[in-house]
Amino acid sequence: MRHVDQELPEPAAQAGGIRAVGIERRFGRGASRVHALGPLDLDVGAGEFCCIVGPSGCGKSTFLRIVAGLVKPTAGRVEVTAATAHPAAMVFQNYGISPWKTVLANVRFGLDLRRVPRKEADARARDWLGRLGLADFADRYPATLSGGMQQRVSIARALAVEPEILLMDEPFAALDAQLRTILQDELLEICQADRRTVLFVTHSLEEALVLGDRVLVMSARPGRLIAERVPPFARPRTGEVRRSPEFAAMQAELWELLRGEVEQASTRKPDTDRERDREQHRNPKQGGKQEKDKEEVAS
Amino acid sequence: MTVTVKDNAPIRVLVREPGAAERDPGRARTRRRLLEIGLAVAVPVVLLLWWQLAANQGWIDDRLYPAPSTIVADGWTDAADGKLWPDVWATLARVLPGYAIGALGGFAVGLLMGTNALIRAALEPTLDALYVVPKLALLPIFMTMFGLGEAPHIALVAVTVFFFVWIATMAAVIAVPDGYREAGAVFGAGPWQMFRHVLLPASLPQVMVGLRISAGVAVLVIIASEGIASPDNKGLGYVIFNSRQLFDNRAMFVGIIVVAIVGVLFSELIRHVGRLCTPWAPRDRGPGQS
Repeated sequence: MRHVDQELPEPAAQAGGIRAVGIERRFGRGASRVHALGPLDLDVGAGEFCCIVGPSGCGKSTFLRIVAGLVKPTAGRVEVTAATAHPAAMVFQNYGISPWKTVLANVRFGLDLRRVPRKEADARARDWLGRLGLADFADRYPATLSGGMQQRVSIARALAVEPEILLMDEPFAALDAQLRTILQDELLEICQADRRTVLFVTHSLEEALVLGDRVLVMSARPGRLIAERVPPFARPRTGEVRRSPEFAAMQAELWELLRGEVEQASTRKPDTDRERDREQHRNPKQGGKQEKDKEEVAS
Repeated sequence: MTVTVKDNAPIRVLVREPGAAERDPGRARTRRRLLEIGLAVAVPVVLLLWWQLAANQGWIDDRLYPAPSTIVADGWTDAADGKLWPDVWATLARVLPGYAIGALGGFAVGLLMGTNALIRAALEPTLDALYVVPKLALLPIFMTMFGLGEAPHIALVAVTVFFFVWIATMAAVIAVPDGYREAGAVFGAGPWQMFRHVLLPASLPQVMVGLRISAGVAVLVIIASEGIASPDNKGLGYVIFNSRQLFDNRAMFVGIIVVAIVGVLFSELIRHVGRLCTPWAPRDRGPGQS
């Protein structure tokens, strides 16, 4: 793992870096309190494509949401070095695009919020639609598109703002296997053409090895980093790396590490999982009975 | 178009760290709860104090708008003397049967129309047309039909509630996702089983919302109809409108306050029943939620 005491590069080059120290997240209160994540330390360099793999419920999405500023950690600290106040764009597993906006308006969303003039915003949105093969669908509504195309819209929306940091939360999990492969290859090409910091969360070891400069493996809940590998494939690479023996070897090696964690995660009592989801989906400050919080927050 | 960072942009460090709610969730939640309860209490208290002050200072004519303290004192005396209860019971005896009849009827018709597209096609335009007729305008018709007793008032409440519950139920049944129906169909559910295991539970949360809204409307309608014509000169609506004619504004306000309390209790009762009936559903938020 990279360490904090590295020599700092030029400030401008540094923008886009993520440094997490002792990050933890617990959900719920009292007896149903769940330790979801951490402690976790991680440094992601500017321009690095970092993949996080782990079993369901290990807190990898939570970590991404903490970096995005959607959730606060219960302990620890994340520092995001950036040139802008909102440096990150996020691609969600369920696309998160607005059904009431056309494809073009969806892709333009981030630019509209930043008050980019309409003409320029349209041009940039159309450019990204073209790069993702959606040029002919600019005026359609998302409901008329397939899942793969909707996810392309979501990716185009994230990239159109040219974010310093791209956060991707299992973006291809809802797609079929063939489409996943195609979109992985497209993402690989786009990210190599235009380097930026990417934090990519996935269940798929294959996906992580194809895309990442670095692959981090997380344990079952509470999620911690248990392994780190650097796929031995030079950039720019293509999807061809999937067929190399090194790829298979590393995939097998990581799967051995991950298998025990997945088994542990899949035989756990489900009630705590539900509690966590419920907690995530409502305003954590409201509702419920008042209980004395017995469990102390680790500091 | 590949510029990620402006060359001369200042570099900042965005920090994500625990806030008060994360450091001590129990305490943060308790404080939040206290704040919510405090606000819920403070708003009506401040309004009442303001009203009281206005009456005391003579900003408003306290013969027309008696001070809250006067109203409470009068209401308390009336309640202690037993003068208030016959009117409360008379109103409840009209609104509760009317509500029950209307709710059952609306639920049944809503289910039928939600399930069967042909029945929906046959009845929807007619019911839509009737829905927009002001129900109070039907009171004279009901009096012709049912005479001058309690029946026309009960019928009026029933008809009002019927439409609210009918629309809520029909919309809820239509919106039941196909996946649930298909699961029932694949396992060979008959019409009754489909109703019992799929349509009823799937639509119940929405139906409960309709029931709760119509509880408030039922009280609203009965007060108006009692104001127009009350069979034995009893009922809260009669108290309110009759006191007004006698320039007894204190009694009028006592009646209004009691109606408000009855309405709140009624709609809270329905909400509570709804929660017991639908333990899986997300709780609808509103006054007094826990």
